[in-house]
Order: sequence, then C-alpha cells, then structure tokens
Amino acid sequence: MRTARPCRPARPRAPRSGGTSSLQGHPARPRAPRSGGTSSLQGHPLCRDTLLPARTNGALWTPAGLRELAEELWSAGLPGDLPDLEPECRSLLAAFAEGSAALTGCLARRARPVRLCQGCHGHYRRLLAQYDSIARAVGNSSESHNCAKSILTSDRLHIVVTLSEFFNETWEAANCANCLKNNSEGLSNSTEEFLDLFNKSLTCFEHNLQGQGIDLSPNNYTEVCKNCNETYMKLNDLYNHLQRLNRQGGESAHSAHLCIDVEDAMNITRKLWSRTFNCSLPCSDTVPVIAVSSFILFLPIVFYLSSFLHSKQKKRILILPKRIQSNANLVNIQEKYS
Amino acid sequence: GNESDLKLTPSSFLRIGQLSNVDLNEDIHELETEVPRQRPNEIPHNEKLLSLKYESLDYDNSENQLFLEEERRINHAAFRTVEIKRWVICAMIGILTGLVACFIDIVVENLAGLKYRLVKDNIDKFTAKGGLSFSLLLWATLNASVVMVGSLIVAFIEPVAAGSGIPQIKCYLNGVKIPHVVRLKTLVIKVCGVILSVVGGLAVGKEGPMIHSGSVIAAGISQGRSTSLKRDFKIFEYFRRDTEKRDFVSAGAAAGVSAAFGAPVGGVLFSLEEGASFWNQFLTWRIFFASMISTFTLNSVLSVYHGNAWDLSSPGLINFGRFDSEKMEYTIQEIPIFIFMGVVGGILGALFNALNYWLTMFRIRYIHRPCLQVVEAMLVAAVTATVGFVMIYCSRDCQPLQGSSVAYPLQLFCADGEYNSMATAFFNTPEKSVVNLFHDPPGSYNPMTLGMFTVMYFFLACWTYGLTVSAGVFIPSLLIGAAWGRLFGISLSYLTKSSIWADPGKYALMGAAAQLGGIVRMTLSLTVIMMEATGNVTYGFPIMLVLMTAKIVGDYFVEGLYDMHIQLQSVPFLHWEAPVTSHSLTAREVMSTPVTCLRRIERVGTVVDILSDTSSNHNGFPVVESNPDTTQVAGLRGLILRSQLIVLLKHKVFVERTNLSLVQRRLKLKDFRDAYPRFPPIQSIHVSQDERECMIDLSEFMNPSPYTVPQEASLPRVFKLFRALGLRHLVVVDNRNEVVGMVTRKDLARYRLGKEGLEELSLAQT
Repeated sequence: MRTARPCRPARPRAPRSGGTSSLQGHPARPRAPRSGGTSSLQGHPLCRDTLLPARTNGALWTPAGLRELAEELWSAGLPGDLPDLEPECRSLLAAFAEGSAALTGCLARRARPVRLCQGCHGHYRRLLAQYDSIARAVGNSSESHNCAKSILTSDRLHIVVTLSEFFNETWEAANCANCLKNNSEGLSNSTEEFLDLFNKSLTCFEHNLQGQGIDLSPNNYTEVCKNCNETYMKLNDLYNHLQRLNRQGGESAHSAHLCIDVEDAMNITRKLWSRTFNCSLPCSDTVPVIAVSSFILFLPIVFYLSSFLHSKQKKRILILPKRIQSNANLVNIQEKYS
Repeated sequence: GNESDLKLTPSSFLRIGQLSNVDLNEDIHELETEVPRQRPNEIPHNEKLLSLKYESLDYDNSENQLFLEEERRINHAAFRTVEIKRWVICAMIGILTGLVACFIDIVVENLAGLKYRLVKDNIDKFTAKGGLSFSLLLWATLNASVVMVGSLIVAFIEPVAAGSGIPQIKCYLNGVKIPHVVRLKTLVIKVCGVILSVVGGLAVGKEGPMIHSGSVIAAGISQGRSTSLKRDFKIFEYFRRDTEKRDFVSAGAAAGVSAAFGAPVGGVLFSLEEGASFWNQFLTWRIFFASMISTFTLNSVLSVYHGNAWDLSSPGLINFGRFDSEKMEYTIQEIPIFIFMGVVGGILGALFNALNYWLTMFRIRYIHRPCLQVVEAMLVAAVTATVGFVMIYCSRDCQPLQGSSVAYPLQLFCADGEYNSMATAFFNTPEKSVVNLFHDPPGSYNPMTLGMFTVMYFFLACWTYGLTVSAGVFIPSLLIGAAWGRLFGISLSYLTKSSIWADPGKYALMGAAAQLGGIVRMTLSLTVIMMEATGNVTYGFPIMLVLMTAKIVGDYFVEGLYDMHIQLQSVPFLHWEAPVTSHSLTAREVMSTPVTCLRRIERVGTVVDILSDTSSNHNGFPVVESNPDTTQVAGLRGLILRSQLIVLLKHKVFVERTNLSLVQRRLKLKDFRDAYPRFPPIQSIHVSQDERECMIDLSEFMNPSPYTVPQEASLPRVFKLFRALGLRHLVVVDNRNEVVGMVTRKDLARYRLGKEGLEELSLAQT
C-alpha cells in the first residue's frame, strides 16, 4: 500500500519523517475515497487513472485493509486519537475548544441580569483570535493552510465553523460592539459612564429601601422616588442621549439598538422605577384636554350647519335637449325636480 | 328685445346660412336677461345630470386630404423612427415618474419625521409637567396649517388636482376631455398637494395621485413641449393628437401604479382595465416597459438614498414587506374564512361609499366656494389630530419598547420603557401604520385598540375623501382593512384556542384587500397589484377570492367609489356596454336634431356666427354639398371640427385670398398640430366686416369619410361603434344620405341603468 503515497501530492511530505504523523497520508483512511480524498486524488493524473478504481471497489474494507489500519495506528502510538491531525493543529483545536467552553460559560452565567458585553468581551476576543489562527496562516504557511482545511472543512458537520458562527451571531445580536471601544478592548467611555450612573441609582434605591424597612406597605415608596429622582433622571437622560447618538450614527436597523447590557440595565431600572416603585406618575390633565378636544370637535358641526344655512345652494341650469321625441321625458324630469 | 328673443329660440339659429350679423356682445347681454325666465329649469345638483363642461377627445383621426398627403409622404424608414421615438418616450415616462415618486417619498418622509419628532418632544415634555392640552393644540395647529397650504393651492390654483385623480384619469382614458387634467401646472400642484396633505396628517395616501402624476408626465413628454411654460422643444410633433396622446397617458398611468405599489404588471393591467378601448400587443408591451422602468428607477434611487445602493429593496412607495415566512402561509381550510372576510369588506366598503356619497353631494351643493373648501380641509385636519390624540390619551395599551421598531414611540402614561400601542397606529404616516399592522408580531396590539382604531379611522377616511386636497384613498382603505383584519385574526385565535394558523398579519392583509376591493371595486388589476406588493404569488388565489366577494357584495348595495364620483361630477362616461334594456331605442330617438350643418363652400360670416354662438357649443359640423338653390339640407359630404375651423379662420384660408395669391403657402397638418391642444377661442380671432363676406372652402380640410348610421340603428349598436372606435361624432343620415341628426357622447351617456330600469339623465350647465 505504500506505493500509493507518491500519488497524494496534496499531503505534505515533511511531517511524514516524524513518527507520529506517518498516518497522515495513509491510504487506508476510511474517509479517503469520499469527499476530501477524492478531490485531492483527482488532482493527480496517475491516481485518477490507475489507483482510484482499485480503491473505490471496496478494497479498503477488506479485512486485510482494516488490519493494516489497526496495525498502523498501533505503531503510531495513538490509538484512536486524532489520527488525522498534526500536533500544531491539534493544539489549535484544543485552544479553540477551551476558549469556546469559557465563552459559553461566561455567556450563560451572565445571561441574567445581562452582563454579556462587560464580562465576556475578553473571552470573545480571544476566541476570535483562536479561530483566526486556525483559519489563517500563522507561522508555516503551507502547514496552517492545511490545518484550516482539515479542521474547518473536511467533514460534513463543520462544527468549529458552526460554533464560531453561533458566537458571532450572538455577539452581533447583543450589539456588544456598540458599548466597546473601537479596538474592542474594554468598555467605551460612555458605557462606563452609564454603568457608573446605573450602579449609583441602584445603590440609591437600596439605600432608601433599607431606610424604610421591609414591613412598610409596598405602595409607599415616596422616599425612593424623592431621593433618587435626580440620579434616575440623569440615567434616563444619558440613555436617551446615547440612543439618539446611535440613531444618527448608523442607518441600518441593527445598529439602532444600544448594546444589550445598557438596554437591559435601563430596562430593569425603568421597571423598578415605574412599576415597582410607581414613581413616574404623570399628571393627567384630563379636564383641559377634554375641553380643547371637544372645542375642536365642535367646530366642524358649526361649520357644516352654517354653510348649510347660509351658503347659497348651487343650482344647475338644465339645458333643453334638441331631440325628436324628448318632450315627454323632459316634462317628467322637470316635474320630478320642481 | 323681441327680435333677439326670437333669434335665440333653439330652432331658428340652426338653419344654415340664415343667421344675420349678430353682435356677440349683444348676444351675451340677451342671454343674461333671459336667465330669470329660465328659473323653472334650475335644479339642485344631483347625480342624474350630464355636464356640458366636458367634451370628447378626438380619438378618431380626421382623415382629410392633408392627413393623407402626410401619411403618404412618410416612408417605411420614417415609420421605424416613429416607433423608436415611442419607445424612447416610454422610457422617459418611466424614469420621470419614478423620480417624481422618489421626490414625494423623500420629502414626505423628512417633513413628517420633523413634525412627529416635534410633537413627540412636546408631548414628552408636557407628560411630566402637565399641560397636555398644549400638545394637542400644537398637533392640531400644525396639521391644520400644513393642510391649509395644501388645500389653498388646490382650491385656488388648480381644482382638478383635488382627490386621487384616478376618476379623472379613468375619464380621460374613456375619452372625456377633463379640462386641465394633464397640464404641467396640475402636476406641480398635485405633487405639492400630496406632500402637504400626507404631512398634514390627514387620513390619506400618496399612492393614488401617483397615477395622475404619471399620466401628466406622459402627456407632457409625448408632446415634446409645455404650453404652460411656453417651451416647444420641436420634438415628437407626430404625436400631437388625441389618439397618440391617449396611448402615452395609459402608459403613464401604468407607470404611476407601478411606482406607487412596486407592481409593474398590476400597472399594465390597471391601464387595461380602466383605460384603452383599443388595445394592441405593441402598445401593451410598451406600457409594460414604461412600468418596469418606473419601478426600477424608484427602486434604485431610493436604495441609494437609504444608503444600500445595490440592494434594490424598495420597489414601490409602499412596500407591504415580505410575506414569505412559514407562519404567513395559508391552508385550504382558511379559504372560507377569507371569503367571509371578503363579504365583510364588501359591506363595509358599501357603507363607506354610501356615506361618502351623501357627503360629496352636500359638498357639491353647499361647499362650493374655494375658501369654504379650504376651511373644511383645515377642520378635518384639526379633527384628525384631535381624534388621534384623544384615542392615544385614553388608550391604556402599553407595549415594551425593547425589541420593537416603532419610529416615534410615544410613552405618555405608559411605564418607562414602554410605548403606547395606539400611538403606533395614529402617530405615524398611514403607510407605516399599514406595514406595522401586517408585520408586528402577535400581541403587539390589543383587540380594544384595534377596534377603536378601525371605527375612528373608517369615519375619518370617509370624511377626508372628497376634500379639496390632493390625496388618495388606497392607503386609508388598506389601513382600515388591515386593522379589522388583524382584529379578526386575533379573535379567531381566541375562538379556536390555538394559534396554529392564526397569524394576525395574514388576516390583516386579507382584510386590507377586502376593504380596498369593497371601496374601489377594481378586480383584475387590484389582485395583481396586491400580489406584487406582497411579493408572494401564492397569495394570488385568496386575494382574488376576497376581491371577487367584496365586489359582488358591494355592488349589491352601491357602486364603486370612483364610478360614484365620476357620476357625481356629471361626466358623460361610457361604460363597456350599453345598458342592457336599451335595445328598444333607435338612433332616431337618441340623436340630437336638427343639426347645424356647413356647406362645402361656406361664407366666413356664417362660420364665425355659428362658432361664436354661446348657447350651442357644438364641436363637429357635418359638411353638406353647397347648393345655393335649395334651402333643404343636401347630402352629407364630410365632417369638420370646431378646432379645424378655428385654425382655418386664424390663417384666413379664404377662397378670395387664395385667388388673389395673398396666401403665402398652403396650410399643412403642422399648423393644426401647433395649435393642439389649446385651440384659441373664437372670440380671440378677429374677422373684419369685409372678410365676413369671403367664402371658405372646407373640402380639403374636412374628414370626407365620417362614420354614419341610419336612423333605425339600435342604441347598443351605436354604442358599440362609439366605444370601439372612440368616436366623437356619429352622423345619422336618411336613405338619401341627408343629415337628420347627430349622436355624440352625451346622447349615449344619458341612458343609464338605474334602480327602476333605464333612466335618462338631463343635460345641465355646471
């Protein structure tokens, strides 16, 4: 079977000298006749003509072939452990696995209350870098290209790609880029400011509630409303300001949102403020509204009545048609309207 | 006085050559003094009238010698150039219509955005401090003042630009010459008026007027000149006649529909359904070309404007959004439900039309002074704002702000971080509200909100249509329908206790189709328009069923809104067929008689007198053999139009002058075309006393082969000739080929199938 080796030009020769990677180009890989294998085989004219038929007709799956594979695995000292991958690639993959585990953990832990962008941006950035190093050439170019291919695209599932797409989409949906600095290292100044203010108002809420004691009736939050009004208003204004800035900056619907952390923080505060504490009691001035609206609604009635009574009704002058037998008809019509 | 009175009796001035020299001014004077005696003939306006104001278009070419000579001169290659010019004109129509639509859209978006932001800031400010009545006043005043400007320009500068313009274009394509309908001035007023009335917050849309705008653009471009601007580009002179112009106007109407809804095929079918009675394949193809160009232009310009240049995502002024998600699909079981919605739409549409009928009648009778019309429009605008405000004020339907894409969220009495759901419907341009109703996720509106909104908007829209502002009825109808359709969908999912197939957006769409169908009663074209606007062909079937049902149910009560307004305007509109029970009538009973005829060689004075007779504004005159010996009417030789006579008089083509070689050149067809379409009135043509004695030879200019019918022809037969050939005058002759009468559009249009069988309308001066 070793005779087949020269026919696999896409596979690197250099690592073969190393003991562990001697399986790299082994023709007995079960996958070889399928997608990845055939394409590289077809690249070589000799293989296409002579060797391919021999492989596809099931020669691989003969007991002899399987025995040989097992032998080779055994001799490589890596039974069942990533026979396909070079050590550099494997370490990259392992790093990606760890990174994604960390990011997943971070995202899940910070799901409620939402602190995704603040807490996980480091993880996310690292994961991006890891993915990049898999996907792009780092160090020996031909080798890493090889890595990218075998990790990212050599099977049907593309699990690494799927994972990284998931993370990207989540990040996009959360719109985290909005509250990070441009180089995405750390939170942007406005976000810091906002979170500061947010913490301040939360502290204020806590403070005032403690002062009142727990057994006070739930409706009586006047202390909170009075004392924290200033902070809350500041927070609210800042949020509105940020939103306005954001709207002006971007056109597409996606960037209309602030990042999820800020949105959620504001949302919690607002709910507390107006639902739990019932602080925002707008003055409902129903009487003047009713007065003004009924005045306006009254105007058309006056208008139509006065135009009905005073405006001269438009009359039409009938023209006598010149017809042979139209006299009878005309009389009828005249009678009807007189 | 007695002598002149005698002259004015109808029969006396119809005798040819008998008129003595009547001074024009004296004539008018006499007419004025006559008015009191005609009192019995004065009646209030009603729908059973035909106005004398409207004339017919000359779709039938006058095949006189000049015309034949010119046609013979044009060789094959020249005809090909003409054909290419037609295509170029269609492309230009498409491009310009698209650009006008873009302009309207962008300006409306910005101005409305400005207004809503202003009012929103004000409301936000006063919600905290109190004094919301000031916000209400601000909103009402803003609306009223914007609408005032819009209404002023329409009422005082160009009243024909009022309304959606679809009835007017329908009439034009039918062959009625509505004064000023395709002028540049009308276009300008229309575009500005639409912008102002939409920004003014009326319950109107900007889609209907696009059709009128497209038609004006088409009529303007195809003539290669603007009479209003007094610019003649000396191009496309071949197209300066009614026949050609009508073809281009139908292309313009199609381009307008296409730009309004992003529905090029719907546009073509609209022209087919409403317009041309002759239809040929090449014309259809050209119209389709214009439609496509129009929607593409709009799409690309708006895409560039919205910053995604290569996206091409806004094909029309209104985009219904995408209806291709899985939950938007319908199943067979739902079809009976859709048909039921069609019935509801038909009934509501009929109610809308009936209410609007009474209102329009009242407006014609009592609110006819322009200043009153402006005041009325302002009041409607103020009331619309007030109703919206009160509804929003009373609504307690709050929805979380997060995750929603509301353009102008109003908080009012909602908790922080929530918005008032009623405000998405009222505090927005109607187009946006329609799209919100189609696509907002289930639960965005509570049933109470939708119910109140439907009722209020129904009456507002009904009240608004017919005001002296330029605005369309498509979008309000869609909005009403979408609101009750969504309500229907919600209640359906309550009833069935399952939400498997009850996505309210789908029912909102069907409700919108049903309501629109119930109001305007268009069939084929509306189905295709809706289908194209949703971008989902599978909706074609339910939409068709809904529209059919709505039309059948609605027609049982009253006719469509556009037909109703055409009738109320007393327009002599010819439907597709003659009234079904009219077979007993013959041409003899239908025709007008006696007819004012001209002799082939006629005295100039006689021609001038006939033309300047104010009590008979005839436009076509049968030409008979000049036989000075007998006073009897001689055999028919041809037909000549008033416009031709005026050109002849203006150029003083008199026999004596030709004999004296005073005329430099022969009159050519170009001279007639240059005067088209605004022929000068006879009063502006000066004919001296000496010239009155000259003779004028009509044989070269008259149409020597006019269509004629014998007296025994039935009304349906005459009607068919008229409708199919686009005639203006049909001469009725006896078996000696002597002229006995003349059938015109008004003679046919006065027979109508009413509630109690065949009715006869009377002619009136309006």
